[in-house]
Amino acid sequence: MTLLETRNLSKSFGGLQAIDKVSLKVEQNTIHGLIGPNGSGKSTFFNLLTGVYQPDDGSHINFDGVNITNSPAHAIAGLGLARTFQLLRLYGELSVLDNVMVGYHPHTKYGPLAPLFNGAAVRRQDKAVKEEMEELLEFIGLADHAEIPAAELSGGQRRLLALGRAIAMRPKMLLLDEPGAGLSPVNVDSLMSTIMTLKERYNLTIVVVEHILKVVMTTCDTISVLDHGQKISEGTPEFVKNDPAVVEAYLGREMADEDIRAAMDA
Amino acid sequence: MLFLSRIADLIEALAQRHRLLPWLLAYALLLTLPFILSTLFNDYLIDLANRACLFIMLAVGLNIVKGFCGQVTVGHIGLYAIGAVTSAVLSLEPGGFGGALGFGLSVWVSIPIAVIVTAFAGLIVGLPSVRLEGAYLALATLGLGESVRIFIAVTPALGSSTGLMMIPAPSIGSFVFDSFTSYYYLVMTAAVVGIYFSFAILRSATGRAFQAIREDTIAASVNGINVMKYKLLAFVLSAIYAGLAGALFAHMPPGYLHHNNFTVIEMVTLLLMVVLGGIGNVWGGVIGAIVVTIAYDQTKDLVVYFMDRPIVIQPLVFGLSMVLLVLFMPRGIGGWFEGVRRNRRFIQRSEEKLGDAARNS
Repeated sequence: MTLLETRNLSKSFGGLQAIDKVSLKVEQNTIHGLIGPNGSGKSTFFNLLTGVYQPDDGSHINFDGVNITNSPAHAIAGLGLARTFQLLRLYGELSVLDNVMVGYHPHTKYGPLAPLFNGAAVRRQDKAVKEEMEELLEFIGLADHAEIPAAELSGGQRRLLALGRAIAMRPKMLLLDEPGAGLSPVNVDSLMSTIMTLKERYNLTIVVVEHILKVVMTTCDTISVLDHGQKISEGTPEFVKNDPAVVEAYLGREMADEDIRAAMDA
Repeated sequence: MLFLSRIADLIEALAQRHRLLPWLLAYALLLTLPFILSTLFNDYLIDLANRACLFIMLAVGLNIVKGFCGQVTVGHIGLYAIGAVTSAVLSLEPGGFGGALGFGLSVWVSIPIAVIVTAFAGLIVGLPSVRLEGAYLALATLGLGESVRIFIAVTPALGSSTGLMMIPAPSIGSFVFDSFTSYYYLVMTAAVVGIYFSFAILRSATGRAFQAIREDTIAASVNGINVMKYKLLAFVLSAIYAGLAGALFAHMPPGYLHHNNFTVIEMVTLLLMVVLGGIGNVWGGVIGAIVVTIAYDQTKDLVVYFMDRPIVIQPLVFGLSMVLLVLFMPRGIGGWFEGVRRNRRFIQRSEEKLGDAARNS
């Protein structure tokens, strides 16, 4: 079943066509990789899907049977589409626990004025949510740091927290924007195994943007390749790896095939 | 320092028994304050305490929009003015002094109406926040706040330059809240309830949404928070505090209201309270309000003679302390205390862990 579908998705900033008529389908329960050289439009693509940017006319985005083309970001989040950011965007002053509790926001059962009129219900639900979120922190290995402000975590812990905050939204689909950026190879491997466990545990569909090709090639079921805002290739890792168009986008026309294989296998 | 931490621990222990116990205890202690002040000092200090309570309400309210939600507003004193003038005009007898408006409503009716009117005004002050941020938002709200004062100053129906006089005091049956002491119970209760509700908001999903918006607006919207709705809500909530404080100010003895109570200087004083207490820290705001109210009262007659000419240096002192605070204590008293407490808890936990490890080995 197709969970996410874009048709003719376009976005231009002034004269720059950042995303150019991209049509893409993401099947349920798969890991879909999105790769492409720097500036090819991967992050813009995520920003369009999550409502951070509004797409140009003629675009169409469908998520879980709902047309979300021009929906505001908070409404899209409410439908179960969560994401992480390349630069994390954690709530630095808030504690680790509060960070994930903000993630739970779309499922809050009481209204924004309930603390004034119905304190008992607020306390009751918050207690339950807190327990659930502590369990989640336990699972991603941040339980010992629950009270610490997010800004005081180490780099790797911050990446985990960003992931935890997105999972707290109980999403159907998770968009990961370069989850491994800035991590050592060992840490990337452990992060990817955490992501795989989370996928099984919470029954997620994942779209991942990643520069570390080894990660993408080994974990993704399908890969789409963007270049200059256009989708130039799509298929299994094996297919994409051997697609001349991809090779050209990454390394230019002149490069010999052997070198490319070597680079991708590294 | 250790003493303060002990008190904090004691409060926590009380809260373990029942959530409201520390609040009731504090309220009971505060009830005795007028007797202590009038026996040890004089009645004037009770009036000062009343003013402190009003400023506590203002500071706690401003903290919601500025501290929790991170929206820089400098128009808060304008909302205070709207609350005060609305309640005063509604409760004044028709045909008062100098062409002042009057509707002759009961004070218990005029205050809630004033609060509702101020809440709407808060919504209007908040509208620029949808598009503007930081210094630009500050400028827009400053303009709105100051225009309220000027509007009052030039409108005879609202008091203009003479001010509104003989504003009635609230009463229950034959008991009239027209003395400093009786009015103290009114404003103190309002302030305590205000502080309590501010905590209730802070510790709910609503408060977390406010803080998320303060920390990162884009992340907050992607986390499913309707940023616009919550920003406006923060403005409305803080306006309710300002409106109530303003209305209570209008009916406070001697029942006189002048637009000079709502100048930019007052706004700076209010900001100083919030910054001194620590932006975003509720108790900090309360402490800041008390400290600054007392300091304001003590320095208002401070005059320095320069070449035989008197110079009032209070604005200078306040402005300078604001600059020094922002430079050297940006998190205020509250932030500093929070840090000390967190360190203490961290040390405690580490010691516990070490103890466990020692026992296990």
